[in-house]
Amino acid sequence: MEELGKKTLQEPRIKFDNVSKVFETRSQEIVAVKDYSMEVLTGEFVSIIGPSGCGKSTLIRMLDGIIKPTYGAIYLDGIQVNEEGKMPKETLRKMGFIFQQPNLLPWYTVRENVALPLRIFGLSGQAWEKRVDELLELVGLTKSGQLFPYEISGGMLQRAGVIRAMVHDPEILLMDEPFGALDELTREQLNMELLDIWKETRKTIIFITHNVEEAVLLSSRIYIMGTQPGRLVSTVNIDLPRPRSLKMITQPEFISYKQKLTKLIGDLDLSKIK
Amino acid sequence: MTKKRIESFIAPIIMFLLIFTGWEIIVRALKIPKWLLPMPSQIFKSMIVNFPAFWPHILVTIETVLLGFIIAVPIGILLASLITSFKVVNAALSPYVTFLVMVPLISLVPLLMLFMGYGMNVRVVTVIIQSFAVVNMNACTGFNNVPIMRQELMQSLGASRLQSYRRVILPTAASDIFTGVRLAGIFATTGCISAEYVGGNMGLGSQIIKYSQFLKTTESFACIFYVTIVGLMMYWLISFAQKKIISWKI
Ligand SMILES: Nc1ncnc2c1ncn2[C@@H]1O[C@H](COP(=O)(O)OP(=O)(O)OP(=O)(O)O)[C@@H](O)[C@H]1O
Ligand SMILES: [Mg+2]
Repeated sequence: MEELGKKTLQEPRIKFDNVSKVFETRSQEIVAVKDYSMEVLTGEFVSIIGPSGCGKSTLIRMLDGIIKPTYGAIYLDGIQVNEEGKMPKETLRKMGFIFQQPNLLPWYTVRENVALPLRIFGLSGQAWEKRVDELLELVGLTKSGQLFPYEISGGMLQRAGVIRAMVHDPEILLMDEPFGALDELTREQLNMELLDIWKETRKTIIFITHNVEEAVLLSSRIYIMGTQPGRLVSTVNIDLPRPRSLKMITQPEFISYKQKLTKLIGDLDLSKIK
Repeated sequence: MTKKRIESFIAPIIMFLLIFTGWEIIVRALKIPKWLLPMPSQIFKSMIVNFPAFWPHILVTIETVLLGFIIAVPIGILLASLITSFKVVNAALSPYVTFLVMVPLISLVPLLMLFMGYGMNVRVVTVIIQSFAVVNMNACTGFNNVPIMRQELMQSLGASRLQSYRRVILPTAASDIFTGVRLAGIFATTGCISAEYVGGNMGLGSQIIKYSQFLKTTESFACIFYVTIVGLMMYWLISFAQKKIISWKI
């Protein structure tokens, strides 16, 4: 056990090795991602930030078996996962994907939606059902479990989407601008809930966002991407103390990180105009 | 009962009374002969008085419609799932399905009877041909319109094809499929009547022809009314099933 723990500390949990993705459309070839490399260790919280269309979603969709990279290799726990064919269920079970929209199924109740991954992965039994109820309670949805998606609010829908990705107890969470569509207040509240969850469970999280403040507040490291073609531009480590709270956003350290990132992203846009 | 429900219940009844009273008054006033256009009161009377004579034919028609319909619906849905899953099947079959929707069935029935005789089988086959294509086309629309996000959700969980169908594809397509099934209910009835028209001496269709040949227009109309009732029953049955099955809102 001890040895295993050490090993995972050294070896990256997730590794992108020179990954490129080219989409062939009727009229042109779109290079969505070009030569992207990144290593994420177990228990890290990293964010990917960049302008619209720079390939952020494409990156994590490749990791989660939804699309295949055109070149390069993606490793999960040292095993290459982007071979031909469908990604095996055991690999997919290690990950939970949180979509940009809640993406709940209208014919299932909130509880049935949250439990969906259990049904697909074939995880049954008292313990798993109890886990569903605990997660519902964690995000304040216990009373809404028997309601249908159209009967609950946008913030509640998004919460249900988040815990659905966690219900099969994945060690890795992939989050594609999960709170982008929500108002500022709900967003901040959900960010803090997310930090709590991360602190308690020590999941490895890849978080995609447009929002600099959100990225600085949550992450250990931020990857900044540029566009046309989508590529990694720079990496910034965030050495702010943990636990973090909303109070920190007024502290000088926080503000200087924010300015640094805003400048890096701003330079990007300028270089695009030239 | 809410006001809305009373309205939706009362309105058709009032319409029914208006049409038939109007019809009755006009026929009486213009003294139209019975063999040309009978009065509704005469038709309703014939429906009751001649019921024992009609009943076997009503039964045969119902049997044919139901049997054909019950076979056609799963065929239509199954074929749609093949067509939307495999490009080859789509290329091979779609033109012929479209052909079956467009071709006037009445032109096919005599051919079918040449091959199969005048029995029950040929009528059931006619009903199947007439109704499966419309289920098929609507089911194809439904299967093709599954939002990409939902497909990606199933992919990210590594769902099997069967799991995807059961949990995402079929429920998404359900309302489109039901549009097709409802149309199929109507097409099955009309298909059955046209098959009975063309040949054989069983079923309401054959009776409509028989009575009108002898200028027994009242009896002929009585049979037409029974056909309408069979069609309406199909429609209600399907609507009822739809309400039971699709209990969610999109
Ligand atoms: N299925 C696809 N077919 C063709 N092109 C695609 C496809 N998916 C994405 N692309 C293209 O790849 C590029 C990157 O898309 P992606 O969705 O990864 O961007 P993104 O960084 O997530 O943007 P946003 O912040 O707006 O969500 C875009 O130019 C997009 O047009
Ligand atoms: Mg995106």
